[in-house]
Amino acid sequence: MQLNMDRPGVTIFLQGNAALARGALEAGVDYATSYPGSPTVEILELLAQVARQCGFYAEWSVNEKVAVEGAAAASLAGLRALAITKADGLNVALDFLTCLGLTGVRGGLVLVVGDDPSGHSSVKEEDTRFLARVAHLPVLEPTTPQEAKEMVGVAFRLSEHLAQPVVLRTVTRICHAGGNVTLGPLPQERRRPSLGTEDRFICVPRQHLQQEQKLREAAKLAEAWNLVSYEGPAKAETLIVASGPGLLYAREAVKRLQRQDQVGLVGLKMVWPLPETVLQRYLQVARRVLVVEEIEPFIEEQIAALIGRNAGEWPLLRLYGRKDNTIAGSFGGGCGELTPDLVRAALTTILGLSAPEETGFRTEFRPPERELAFCAGCPHRASFWALQSAIALDGRRAVVLGDIGCYTLGRGRSGYRVLHTVHAMGSGLGLASGFGKLKEWNWERPTVAVLGDSTFYHAALPALINALYNRSDLLLVIFDNETTAMTGHQPHPGREVDARGEPAKPVSLEQILHGLGVPLKIQDPYDVRSSMRAIYRALKEEDVRALILRGPCALLRDRKLAQLRTYVDQMRCLGEGCGCNVFCSRVWACPANRWDGLRGKAYIDETLCTGCGACAQLCPAGAIRTEGGEAPWREG
Amino acid sequence: MARRLEAEPLNILLTGVGGQGNVLAARVIAMASVASGYQVAVGETFGASQRGGTVASHVRLALKDRYGPLIPRGEAHVIVGFEPLEACRALLAYGNINTYVLANWRPLPPVSVLQGEEEYPALADLERFLLEHTGGLLVLDATARAQELGSAAATNMVLTGALVASGLLPLDPQALDQVLKELFTDAVLELNRKALAAGMAVWEQSTPQQIWLGCSPNKDSATR
Amino acid sequence: MPPKGPLHLQKEVLQVEQCTGCGLCAGLCPYFNVVDERVALTSTCGLSEGLCYEVCPRTPTDWELIDRTVFGAPRQDHVLGHWQGLYYARAGEAAPAIEGKQYGGTVTALVAFALTQGLAHGALLTSGLPGDFPVPVLARTMDEVLAAAGSKYSATPTLQALVGAMRDGLGSMVVVGRPCQVLAVRKLQSVKRRTPVTNLTAGTKLFLLGLFCFWALSSAFYERFLPSKLNPLEVTRLDLPPYELVVSTPKGELRLPVDELRPLIRPACEVCFDPTAEFADLTVGSTEDDPRWNTLLARSALGSELLEAATAAGWLEVRPYPADRVHLLREAVARKKRRVVTGPAGPPPYLFLQEAYHRGVVAAEEESGCS
Repeated sequence: MQLNMDRPGVTIFLQGNAALARGALEAGVDYATSYPGSPTVEILELLAQVARQCGFYAEWSVNEKVAVEGAAAASLAGLRALAITKADGLNVALDFLTCLGLTGVRGGLVLVVGDDPSGHSSVKEEDTRFLARVAHLPVLEPTTPQEAKEMVGVAFRLSEHLAQPVVLRTVTRICHAGGNVTLGPLPQERRRPSLGTEDRFICVPRQHLQQEQKLREAAKLAEAWNLVSYEGPAKAETLIVASGPGLLYAREAVKRLQRQDQVGLVGLKMVWPLPETVLQRYLQVARRVLVVEEIEPFIEEQIAALIGRNAGEWPLLRLYGRKDNTIAGSFGGGCGELTPDLVRAALTTILGLSAPEETGFRTEFRPPERELAFCAGCPHRASFWALQSAIALDGRRAVVLGDIGCYTLGRGRSGYRVLHTVHAMGSGLGLASGFGKLKEWNWERPTVAVLGDSTFYHAALPALINALYNRSDLLLVIFDNETTAMTGHQPHPGREVDARGEPAKPVSLEQILHGLGVPLKIQDPYDVRSSMRAIYRALKEEDVRALILRGPCALLRDRKLAQLRTYVDQMRCLGEGCGCNVFCSRVWACPANRWDGLRGKAYIDETLCTGCGACAQLCPAGAIRTEGGEAPWREG
Repeated sequence: MARRLEAEPLNILLTGVGGQGNVLAARVIAMASVASGYQVAVGETFGASQRGGTVASHVRLALKDRYGPLIPRGEAHVIVGFEPLEACRALLAYGNINTYVLANWRPLPPVSVLQGEEEYPALADLERFLLEHTGGLLVLDATARAQELGSAAATNMVLTGALVASGLLPLDPQALDQVLKELFTDAVLELNRKALAAGMAVWEQSTPQQIWLGCSPNKDSATR
Repeated sequence: MPPKGPLHLQKEVLQVEQCTGCGLCAGLCPYFNVVDERVALTSTCGLSEGLCYEVCPRTPTDWELIDRTVFGAPRQDHVLGHWQGLYYARAGEAAPAIEGKQYGGTVTALVAFALTQGLAHGALLTSGLPGDFPVPVLARTMDEVLAAAGSKYSATPTLQALVGAMRDGLGSMVVVGRPCQVLAVRKLQSVKRRTPVTNLTAGTKLFLLGLFCFWALSSAFYERFLPSKLNPLEVTRLDLPPYELVVSTPKGELRLPVDELRPLIRPACEVCFDPTAEFADLTVGSTEDDPRWNTLLARSALGSELLEAATAAGWLEVRPYPADRVHLLREAVARKKRRVVTGPAGPPPYLFLQEAYHRGVVAAEEESGCS
């Protein structure tokens, strides 16, 4: 199945991200950029696969700021441009975006932003609508994959109509949802870039007024462009205002409670600016209104303000939502994502219905939690083991600043809880630059920044230059698995190929570090004891120094080529009598290292093992053997 | 096959551990369902997809209406557990006393169990728990079946085959085969087709009693 | 006394700088690691008792008990311990030429002899670049033995490789080690408890070749001292004849007074009671007299047999220890032991001397004090 199949009218199953990508194709996108971030990763991946064939440009940008800037350039040249980020990524672009909101754009510029309510694959749940508001950009939000596809085209038209970037805000439950999508036609013509001799886009403060006017115009268009929906009785005393997947949950709740003739359901596809005129029509006859939205009470506050302005006319109208915890959110207290159950519970409450009977099982049984863990054979496990051992050997209680990537799991069991901090992309190095200056207080704890290769390109350079210039003391450890692993192995500027699979000019980590004069060593993390020594020695040095722990992501290693069969020699494994206290599975904790409770011996799950051999170096009994080679530990 | 649904919507939950291929199985089922004329909603719930956490795919089939991507708690009609513990976890959250459970009897201990902080419950206890709390149960070693066919990666299609043969999924096996042909080619296509057939055979060779009692019809099952 | 484990070891030995860097705990157990001669408990095993504590040369040790275990009787000589013969020795004419040898090449010749005659299947030695931390090697061939020739002056954790080598089925081995390492091996051998590990050690025949050692240099020597003088990569040879350190490079020799090294002595060595590897089968040292010869003490029957065989085969040449020098050796050793036993803080916590042993040391000290 090709995303660019030209079969208008056909209905197929598409994941939300695929629907968004298809929407971009149907809207005739000319230029697409992104930095991979869940939940929106697949959109650019899918676009890049067909970009050459369809005649448009697609790139993985070095970070979101540059992605939005690149897309904006295409828009200023009159092209239709799409920049795709996750919520956290839009922060990176925000400085530029608040300026772009002032100058406006020419060709349609749509920012598809994926919010991650409850932070399923993020370190926070951030609501993009606030950022769009700061930049004075209209925000559209789809409810289903079908709507997501259509909305890309709507967003482009709106952007061109207003000469303003438009945010198409999605959430995990759209991006990682899927459903029936009916395909539309693909455009036949392509645009050409142009820039008039008099065209200027120079940011000045008084453009603020034009921004406000554009937003007012957008609010007016909401009704004409069908960006507000309504279902229910002509006059509903109970009203639900919902957006995104919340609308589906609300519809299901109304249906389950059999209140279709009683409850009115307003669906907002334009969530900023608030389409007040349409909303007023329903609010003025309502007695109670429940706002169903993710993540913050954003629409709720707008409606509260609207009610405030109409206080004289709507004295009996009461507002329910996250603020008053009617919508508890999956974290409780109005925080966290929506679920159908939370919405049904909220509707039950405001209708004064009795709560449904507990359907849950009466049982004490609670399955053990399944914490995220490094994959079998992951180089990061070996790296963190070496790091924590080296820090213990060094004995000065090094402070380890973490970053964003698979290695963020260094905060948990799987990474031996080595990390002291995790914040934003590249922030570990900035924090390290600061911790590395505490020596002026006679602080003697070494500073270590842990970050990945993709993160290094994304956001490390200013912090690194700061640390060098200001003579901070820090050890930069780059966990280089030669890909952007967390989001599914997208290429980054260190790779030989670009998003479209075409030859790229790799920018080498080593050359950057050499160029900056940073002393550098490169080490294979799977050689665990050498890594330990390399880190131990690097900890003892001063100033800014770097160590690259380079081992390819275990999911990318060609198993057939590289795998040495690794197994536990049952004669050598001393089992419970060893004194190692089940080191391989209990402490090292690679999912492939298993313990046979009946026999009291270790074994290896060969369906999971990648043959990296790291555990074989650590088994004190030398019982873990790799076929075709001796266990390398004894050289140790 | 005529469109018919035991329930509207029909809620099927596929659950397992990152890397087991349950998202792909859900997509195969969803594609076949759309092609068969159903209105489908899928919710893929994974955090960091391949990092060993719980991964669940909610699949909801309807004749006409569009539903949200999440199954309400307690309302799953069918749970396909790719891993025993995850089957139980999903049942507790999304199942009820009438839910049917198909479970791959191949435990993957969480890191807390590997590290000895928690214990993996005895498989016999998990089986008893499922028996006592479901409307029907089939446990099978789908991973072993898949390995016999050449790769543990085909576990997902073995389970999908058992699901479609059970009649719990209102789809013609042909519709699934068509989707496999769209998605795969050559050796991978062959592997997946064989896995699908193997899964169907597991169901067909089971007696109703075996299914209800949770007995594996396969001698080599991990439960023995 | 309840059995003790890794956390006690950490508290009583590692944290108070009493670790001798023998490496045995790191070889027994993945929770202990050693890098650049620093040993640490790098993660916790969760057990409250362990061999790690039992075998450490700096956990409480009953000297008489070890004598009885190794030699079958308490000692008569409280200065040098058990011994059967005291000699000057050097590599014999039948031994291969030893390029990197310091002094008489006795150790290299003995090890090479044991390996080539099939008396041992491997030998634990130290090797590495002269300007960097020495590294443990398990030599199995003559070439590997010859490559490891030459004295090292720091606390190489050779025993890290010991248990692993036993597990890999080396039925007999030569272990060349400092006195603390010899003691650690003897403690491992005298663990009465039958465990999978002690079963292994019981099944391996070990020749313990001890070295004279009055102190070892701390990590700071390689980490800071040497780099402050020259580029360590250029060092071709380190030598420590009496009273000075000689660092050879292609550009020439750097001679440094031994006093400069005093601050670099490993703290654990200050309270060492055993400069002559009293529990070894054979002990070898320099002579402080004639650099062409080594001092050699044959202690056990096993040691004497090896010595006789090597001498008979012409791999080793021995002559009686010069009578006029015996008292010098005894005085030096007695002085060191006296300092440790009668120091202002009293005997160190690891040293458990039965009444007779304590008296013996003090008496020996008086005797040497008179002469």
